[in-house]
Amino acid sequence: MSLTMSDVKEKKDVVVETLFPEIANLYGDHANIRYLKLCMPDARYVEDTLSVEPYFAEQTPDMIYMGPMTERGQELVIEKLKPYRARIEEMIRENVLFLITGNAIEVFWDAIENEDGSRIEGLGLFHYTAKRDMFHRYNSAVMGRFENMTLVGFKSQFTLSYGDNHTEFLYEVTKGDGLNRESRYEGVRRNRFLGTYTIGPILILNPDFALYIQKQLGAAEPHLVYESAMRDAYEERVKQYESTEFVLL
Amino acid sequence: MAKRTARFYAAMFVGKLAYATQRLLGMNATFFPGKLALQICPDFMGQVGRPKNLIGVTGTNGKTTVSNLLVDLLEAEGIRTTNNRKGSNTKAGVACAFLVNATLGGRSKTEWGVIEVDERSSMHIYPFIKPDYVVCTNLFRDSIIRNAHAEYIAGIISAYMQPETKLILNADDLISSGVAPDNPRVYYSISRLPTDTKTCQNIINDCQICPKCAAKLDYDYVRYHQIGKAHCPNCGFASPVPDYEAEVDFKERRMVLTERGDAQVYSLISDSIFNVYNQVAVTTLLREMGMSPDELRDGFSKLHIVDTRYNKTTVNGIDVIDHMAKEHNPVACSVVFDYLSKEPGTKEILFLLDDEKVLENMTWMYDCDYEKLNSPLVKRIVIPGNRAKDQKLRLMMAGIPEEKIVIGMTDEEAPDYLGLDGTEKVFVLHQCYKPDLSHKLHQKIEELIRRRGA
Repeated sequence: MSLTMSDVKEKKDVVVETLFPEIANLYGDHANIRYLKLCMPDARYVEDTLSVEPYFAEQTPDMIYMGPMTERGQELVIEKLKPYRARIEEMIRENVLFLITGNAIEVFWDAIENEDGSRIEGLGLFHYTAKRDMFHRYNSAVMGRFENMTLVGFKSQFTLSYGDNHTEFLYEVTKGDGLNRESRYEGVRRNRFLGTYTIGPILILNPDFALYIQKQLGAAEPHLVYESAMRDAYEERVKQYESTEFVLL
Repeated sequence: MAKRTARFYAAMFVGKLAYATQRLLGMNATFFPGKLALQICPDFMGQVGRPKNLIGVTGTNGKTTVSNLLVDLLEAEGIRTTNNRKGSNTKAGVACAFLVNATLGGRSKTEWGVIEVDERSSMHIYPFIKPDYVVCTNLFRDSIIRNAHAEYIAGIISAYMQPETKLILNADDLISSGVAPDNPRVYYSISRLPTDTKTCQNIINDCQICPKCAAKLDYDYVRYHQIGKAHCPNCGFASPVPDYEAEVDFKERRMVLTERGDAQVYSLISDSIFNVYNQVAVTTLLREMGMSPDELRDGFSKLHIVDTRYNKTTVNGIDVIDHMAKEHNPVACSVVFDYLSKEPGTKEILFLLDDEKVLENMTWMYDCDYEKLNSPLVKRIVIPGNRAKDQKLRLMMAGIPEEKIVIGMTDEEAPDYLGLDGTEKVFVLHQCYKPDLSHKLHQKIEELIRRRGA
């Protein structure tokens, strides 16, 4: 589903909620919120630790962000969020913006399966299963089309996910892989729930995506801090990716 | 030790032949002979004779320095060691060290061994060589694509540590101090320093929650990243009580190391906190192995840290300094940036932290404290290579003015873009695998300074 500016109510008090930054902060992803703070300094940024009730339990934020974490972290987060499953489902239905990166998306899956077949049940909001292989790390660059823009980024994970996401993917890959080695469809997108295995500062790596997120948040004047340097780095990466044969790292 | 097989003797013979050939050709011969031996006999390390006293050294940062200090101290006492200081710290490098230091029959020629072990290679090394002691210096985020995260590496070390191995652990690091919890262990620590803070001043701290109950940890003090002292207000978990605790006096360049109630004074061999940790780790291990404080003091007085990662020359009053900064290792780079920022004088920096592979993951830059370089004393940063635009953007995100950052040249051209006008220090920050390039550019900078009469 695609939303335009006119669909989004202009707000003065934008609330961006980061879930569990004390553990969901691997691979430079925390820079996404640091960058958003530069572009939207007047928004309110709420951080929920594992030991407090999430802000979303009683209030409705404009955006929920969660980044990648350790495998133990995933289990802690699943346990923490289980009591709020219905509330999260309601927020997705009501078009709250979610940006979920790296293995944080597996928290929302049906399950994470270990090599020995044992399973960690997820929140079950998306019908996918992540399969872990802790001795083989999947490392790759990735490039794909989202709306009318080209997204670039990296993947580095112990899991690949399985399930049919062809009707609710975040972006179609043009180079690299989607949910697994056979998939062309990366991540999930349901209403304004945006989830992707792409790690790192995705907003900094993708200037148009950073603008898109600001528009989704109803920013009066979406803009990019350090735009010129950002676009230079982005265009260089796109050019390099287009001329390079993708291999696993 | 496993029974020696015909394959083992064949591996030993062929490996030694390869070693001799490579040496004749003027090569280092610190990897290939071991690789060959392992190809012929996969259980080579299980069958080769091990030194009677075998020490392993691992950890994200400091393991090379600790290994080198140990070898230097032992060799100063006339003790020859099996070691891999000139070679690789992975399976083949370790196998090579054992091969070279064993007889054709497989018996170890040395009584002592000091083996640096890459954390990720634990599974290929510990079950075979079964060290008597392993020093684990610390565990931090390292290469994202190889090491994932520190908790993963701690899990690997724990899974493959042999139960009889005694661990020498850093009590100030809640991640590495928890490895292999059932093994015998001794903890060392550096007591509170005036520079310690209540909250973490770095971008990343990978131990913010209690390893037992997941409640938010309360830090009594933080030194850097997760290094410090913490306790859990919920379940009572706390940093381990150290068996060896150093009180460090940087001004007097000495430390008082209290070991189980007995205080001993040692001179510091370096004034960097990271090397003091390395010295405390070495002292703890050798005290546990029976070396006396007097022998240690004598040993420390004879050596200094030979830092191949640091090379300084001075031309026309300008210091030209090569400094290794392990790319993809955000903590190691943060440490270098911090050191550089605290050096007095105006400086220019030549950044050689590049990736030749354009697909390489560069997200580590955002875990690294580039903010440390945001100083009026840093006048210019010159960045060649594939990642120059990413580096520039990251530096700008750290608040460094765009006009100080120069990009768009090849490695060889980079020195030409230095200003050298009123500059007191030029740093060449190079990655692990580019010492030759760094050396070449270092020489070019020296020539430029001479030519410009700066």
